[in-house]
Amino acid sequence: MNVSVDYIAIFIQFLVGFGFVATTMVATHYLGPKRKTADKLASFECGIDSQGNARLPFSIKYFLTAILFVMFDVEVIFMYPWAVNFKELGSTGFIEMLLFIGTLLIGFAYIIKRGALKWE
Amino acid sequence: MENSIQSVPQNWYLLLSTFMFCIGVMGVLLRRNAIIILMCIELMLNAVNLLLVSYSSYAGNAEGQVFVFFIMVVAAAEVAVGLALLVSIYRNVASTDIDILNRMKW
Amino acid sequence: MGISQIIFYMLAAFTLLSALFVVFSKNPIYSVLWLILCFFSIAGHFVMLNAQFLAVVHIIVYSGAIMVLFLFTVMLLNLNSETEPHKPTLLKFAAVLSGGALFLIIIAAVRSTMPAPYVAPQLSEVGYVKNIGMKLYRDYTLPFEVASILFLSAMIGSVVLAKKERFN
Repeated sequence: MNVSVDYIAIFIQFLVGFGFVATTMVATHYLGPKRKTADKLASFECGIDSQGNARLPFSIKYFLTAILFVMFDVEVIFMYPWAVNFKELGSTGFIEMLLFIGTLLIGFAYIIKRGALKWE
Repeated sequence: MENSIQSVPQNWYLLLSTFMFCIGVMGVLLRRNAIIILMCIELMLNAVNLLLVSYSSYAGNAEGQVFVFFIMVVAAAEVAVGLALLVSIYRNVASTDIDILNRMKW
Repeated sequence: MGISQIIFYMLAAFTLLSALFVVFSKNPIYSVLWLILCFFSIAGHFVMLNAQFLAVVHIIVYSGAIMVLFLFTVMLLNLNSETEPHKPTLLKFAAVLSGGALFLIIIAAVRSTMPAPYVAPQLSEVGYVKNIGMKLYRDYTLPFEVASILFLSAMIGSVVLAKKERFN
């Protein structure tokens, strides 16, 4: 079992991804023309001085979607070890997973019924 | 690159996760923002995760890693409910400062 | 010193530093970002411990889902360093002191249980998806089903809490 070979591909991919982002950021910093004036650097350029912080709180609608995403994300994680061992586990494993998904489907039905994912 | 279980003594992992756990405890005591406190709880959970995984792979027993799996599940559920609670508290008192939330102190 | 030892020390230093930055950053958004880096380094530790499946799950669950939710909340509530409440200096000092004292106590308690002289263990395949899956679905069926009930309750709880205004 040689572990060292397995990670070279991941390492190269990480390097390429990181390198691409880094070079793009540095390149755009040096390539573009820079003529900065105080008006240009202001957050809004409509003659009115900006007040407060540029970060505005955003709608609560996104929040519930994010919470439910976390739930279903973790649920899917359970399927990887199950899918790899699907043949060995046989029908017992299948029934186990049916029970698991069935319980979660009740939750999903509740979410749909409550209109939690509705985008008004 | 060989694995670190063959060249790093396990005590180092024990030390590392103890230190991480204590940083988490310190954060809970130090900060007043409830979100940061939740994050420090995550830090403590992860210290325990690291210790469980290290024992599991030093002993060659998969059960520790199954436990870590369940800890992650519980952490996800905890974070979802905890942040929902925090947001609904924020709607009422417009703050996440835990020193304001003393109305159940009677 | 082998290369895996060097990687371990670098990862450990990075983990501890980023954990400290989580606690001591003034801006909550920086705390969240440092915590994401901390979780990545813990996933690196998992890879070094030959627990590859858990490393990937850790990145997906913690860095991919939980920290996104934290970042969402920090932005939703519009927290920044100006609105960040602080404890008085004396209490901060006491908190650091008690954290350090806890560390010393745990280390002192654990020192007596330190294992016998170190022998390098055999590399095993326990961290592979196949082995973890067999263990999970053979021996830990009940916790697995209980986890689904936990999810159900967490889902309903968070919907009820976060969607309060729909009833009126």
